[in-house]
Amino acid sequence: MPITHEGLAREFEFVTRPGERKHILEGIDGTAPILQELAYELIVGNNTDVDRLTQEALAEGFTANELLDNGLLNGMAIVGVKFRDNLIFVPEVLVAARAMKAGMAHIEPILSASGAEPAGIIIMGTVKGDLHDIGKNLCIMMLRGAGFIVHDIGVDSSPQDFIDAAEEHKAHVVGMSALLTTTMPNMGRTIAAFEDMGLRDEVRIMVGGAPVTQDFAEEMGADAYGDNAVDAVDKAKELVKQLAELKSS
Amino acid sequence: MVDEGARKQNPKLDSDKARASLDRLYDIYRDIASTADEVMQTRCPYKDASSRCTAKFGCRNQFFTKNPQSLPACAGSDMIDYREAWDN
Repeated sequence: MPITHEGLAREFEFVTRPGERKHILEGIDGTAPILQELAYELIVGNNTDVDRLTQEALAEGFTANELLDNGLLNGMAIVGVKFRDNLIFVPEVLVAARAMKAGMAHIEPILSASGAEPAGIIIMGTVKGDLHDIGKNLCIMMLRGAGFIVHDIGVDSSPQDFIDAAEEHKAHVVGMSALLTTTMPNMGRTIAAFEDMGLRDEVRIMVGGAPVTQDFAEEMGADAYGDNAVDAVDKAKELVKQLAELKSS
Repeated sequence: MVDEGARKQNPKLDSDKARASLDRLYDIYRDIASTADEVMQTRCPYKDASSRCTAKFGCRNQFFTKNPQSLPACAGSDMIDYREAWDN
């Protein structure tokens, strides 16, 4: 039995497709107990233990590559399989993504030191009056996976909250989410606030959410509309490029 | 572009391999996001695997138990649009 960690062995049994079993097992087979434990704690969403184990493994001399390939990625691959097979749902996935972030917090400085630059800095929040955050959280997970540094300002965020965060973190992009038709106008109010503060040329603004459309985004003066989490990543990449070109011209 | 000099100075990382790993992570997330889009058509995304509600806002489908520490149970039917029950 190549998987020595009891919990991880149990989780691995949820992977039933032969090709997937082989692929994931290749990553786990013969790996150190601490990396197996890391994968397991990520699957169950224990961000405190992922944080601790990542630090311990680095201190023990494991490379960032080993932590990524044999620990964190194996865990997230099993999370993806369980989600697809309806064994877990969006809340569990987001908890695992939070644990991934805890681990990546120790790996990102090593990536940076090796010359790998982040794709951009993004502020993400749900607009004032809106407490729905699932769509935003999925976008944040995707953006972080694509190499962006994302600062999540949470739900019910006022125009000033977005402005303060954009200034504090020197953001390239501000992303706003809304689920309700009644709170959608607050996206326009936030954009107007950036204009009033003379900051509109400093950042690009993208919007998204179930009731938001391309037409509405254009009407409000947003720079981009993300139809879904994957689209949000593509749009964010375009906006960072646009901003760089604008600033260099 | 990875700086070759910086890579040599960092024994903890093979940058090319790390890039491939991060691409794999992105692929996993992309599949998850795609599954989420499908699942959310019929199941409230705030409902966890134990059918507990993780929403931070009120919903008429929330059924609070006597234990104030535990999340409310979701009493909603996935046969109807769950968004109608959201209070906010």
